[in-house]
Amino acid sequence: MAVDLSMPILVVDDYNTMIRIIRNLLKQLGFDDIDDASDGSAALAKMKEKKYGLVISDWNMEPMTGYELLKEVRADGSLSRTPFIMVTAESKTENVIAAKKAGVNNYIVKPFNAQTLKAKIDAVFAD
Amino acid sequence: MKKVSTDHLDRIVQFIRTKGNGDVSLGDVVALAEVTVESLSSFFRSIDMSVYRELSDIASFITNMKVEVGRLQPNDLKHSRIPAAGMELDAIVKATEKATDTIMGAAEELMAADASDPVAYKAMVDERMMLIFEACSFQDITGQRVAKVIDTLKHIEMRVTRFADAINAADADGYLSEDERRREERKIKNILHGPQLDGEGVDQNDVDALFAKPEKKGKDAATAK
Repeated sequence: MAVDLSMPILVVDDYNTMIRIIRNLLKQLGFDDIDDASDGSAALAKMKEKKYGLVISDWNMEPMTGYELLKEVRADGSLSRTPFIMVTAESKTENVIAAKKAGVNNYIVKPFNAQTLKAKIDAVFAD
Repeated sequence: MKKVSTDHLDRIVQFIRTKGNGDVSLGDVVALAEVTVESLSSFFRSIDMSVYRELSDIASFITNMKVEVGRLQPNDLKHSRIPAAGMELDAIVKATEKATDTIMGAAEELMAADASDPVAYKAMVDERMMLIFEACSFQDITGQRVAKVIDTLKHIEMRVTRFADAINAADADGYLSEDERRREERKIKNILHGPQLDGEGVDQNDVDALFAKPEKKGKDAATAK
């Protein structure tokens, strides 16, 4: 399945610099409809107002972590099928397994590059 | 602690037995009092010495503890070194944020620049590149600030270690405050360990290998495809 470049993407990170980096990388990849949120609860509120084609989220945020956001999204009938990529510095096997078990579609370890981001987005929509 | 002399107690018992069935005169009472005082005086002397030694040991321990607490320099740590280290860390965060903002701003302007006029484009690229070089100078000063913070941590570590050794302290379980308990429980619940140091975590290839393994079917299995 080809990636729809017009789909809205929600980037969730508590560091404005990281949001800016991911936003620029996504623009370079051809995506244009990009929103952002600074934590899981802000992201959840935006997801209930707008249907996103992809969520790219950090793990460690306050008050709601990306892990909690993932579980909330998967438990919500109207949001549960939203593709979800975790982009995080949490690089223990335990974290990757927990995220996979919670239903994450892919997992990127920080620091990362544009090529990795593109490959993981392609992989999510190829499944 | 010494026991009461049994010899003196025997004399008290004998005296009471002798006078038990007869009239007791004032002289008998005085005699009994004398025997009793004589019997118990050595006991009270031994108590005095024992209590004195205990109190002396406690006083000595408190004096040593005050010396050790003084060497810990808690006031210097609380009012000077720790706040100073905090300010250095704040300055590091601000400097890196400012440098990152400058570098990213320059990069964004370069990416959006109109390259139709090569001369103007070259001048613009040169100017933005110079901004990037200048912004990178933050690394030198933040390196010096980090060194100061490390110095403070070593200072604290040395004193705390010495203090713990001096009072032979064992680590107590539990949390110092409700806030600390909440933060620790949140870390466990949300599996917050990162960021890992080199060699501690997995890399992207390991993650990809984990994702290549088929997910076991179950109620927690991924639902989104």
